[in-house]
Amino acid sequence: MQHILLYIDPGSGSYLIQMIIAGILGVAFFFKNIVFAVKHFFHRIFGRKS
Amino acid sequence: MDTFQQHPSSYRDPSGFVFSKNGILYRQVNQVFKKDFDLFVNSGLYQNLVAQKLVIPHQLLNENLTDSPEWYITLQPELLPFISYPYEWCFDMLKEAALLTLQIAKEAMNFGLMLRDASAYNIQMYKGRMVLIDSLSFEIYDETKPWIAYRQFCEHFFAPLALVHYLKQPLQNLFIAYPNGIPLNIVSAAIPFKSKLSLHSYLHLHLQKSIEKKQNVENKNSRPFSKQRMKNLLQSFEEGIKSFSFSQSTQWSDYYKEANLRGDYVSLKKQFISEWLSKLNFNTVFDAGANDGEFSELTATKSTYVISTDLDHGAITKLYHRVQQTNISNIYPLIMDLANPSPAIGVNNTERTSFLARCKVDVALALALIHHLALTNNIPFDKIAEMFSNITRYLIIEFVAENDEKIKLMTLHKKNLLTGYSLESFLTAFKNYFSLLDTKEIGDSGRTLFLMKKLNT
Repeated sequence: MQHILLYIDPGSGSYLIQMIIAGILGVAFFFKNIVFAVKHFFHRIFGRKS
Repeated sequence: MDTFQQHPSSYRDPSGFVFSKNGILYRQVNQVFKKDFDLFVNSGLYQNLVAQKLVIPHQLLNENLTDSPEWYITLQPELLPFISYPYEWCFDMLKEAALLTLQIAKEAMNFGLMLRDASAYNIQMYKGRMVLIDSLSFEIYDETKPWIAYRQFCEHFFAPLALVHYLKQPLQNLFIAYPNGIPLNIVSAAIPFKSKLSLHSYLHLHLQKSIEKKQNVENKNSRPFSKQRMKNLLQSFEEGIKSFSFSQSTQWSDYYKEANLRGDYVSLKKQFISEWLSKLNFNTVFDAGANDGEFSELTATKSTYVISTDLDHGAITKLYHRVQQTNISNIYPLIMDLANPSPAIGVNNTERTSFLARCKVDVALALALIHHLALTNNIPFDKIAEMFSNITRYLIIEFVAENDEKIKLMTLHKKNLLTGYSLESFLTAFKNYFSLLDTKEIGDSGRTLFLMKKLNT
């Protein structure tokens, strides 16, 4: 079993993992915000009509 | 009596340690941690967290109580009446502890600090809510570095919560086998395929595991991390954890409804217990087999704290929510199998003490419990009496006679279980450890309440 000890230099293992994960999250949250903004936009338009 | 005792679980961290001296608990901060600790206090983060009741308050003492050359300052934290561990918590308690850890990490970033630990053992229940108890968990935040506690957070919070969420089984006991957190490869292998369709579970459990497998190579081309990336990580954990849930209907959910049908059974029981309690001098209570805490509540207003345990995850979850929603903040709802109470675990088996070593009270309630221990678990009365005598000074215990309907049901196919199960043998065994102070028949239910006092106290 691989087990990385705590209190290690984060560069030795979880650094790369966190870089990759945070990178993917950056993209994911970026698109999520766009979707949210678009939904919000339409909601405002339809909200006014009704 | 000038010596101090270092706390057995406080050995990991070179920046300080917890110790007790003359019965008082202190935390020493070492010189090496001076800059980080000063910022924690002077930046306003400590005040902010205390005001929000997210961290345990402490007093600063400018006195080197350990005569250690590394000493910088001494803290005297507010004393926690009772310590519990994640393997005794229901899902919602661990979830709240996880969200608290994330909230504190986010607050810390605003003050130029960061959480460097994300251990579930650093969170304790205090006055009805989860709080951080380790004031040395904060270091000066370097935006170019990723989260040093990332993996620990995954193993202590994200992975165990995901496991329970996806498998829909109470698995808090896994913490006993893996006190440093549940290994990701186990969780990743156990949870179903659909977990890969959730962004957060995929990234923090599956992807992390596969990256880890591939690389033992050091990452040399290190681009700096950033504050935004850190915020993304924390937000992802938060979204993931908020989406996790686990509710198990308790097998006792209808217990009181049904019990109430038995005439005045419950109300009489409450009346007798209240009468006895009004005559006893006590501070602490253990409600064994508490169900959702109806009788714990009865004693809570009269005591410093009540430890309420039950085997049933659903019942303890219900009680935990009741504690959160009401003013009764001195009840500790814990999942516990009294046929196998939490053992002492960790380094030298002293790091986390056993449940029976922690549970020392003035009054213990064992209501409608004896038949479960004696019949379901086959524990002889003598051993049950011995257990309670190690826990409590006064014992209020209900005996359920062998002709009770519940017992008939339990022994339908195992009649021989009843051999040795009688009021006489019950009393004979308990009289070896307790003296009998009072007896009350609970109406015509066929059940009897006993008030006992431990011998030689």
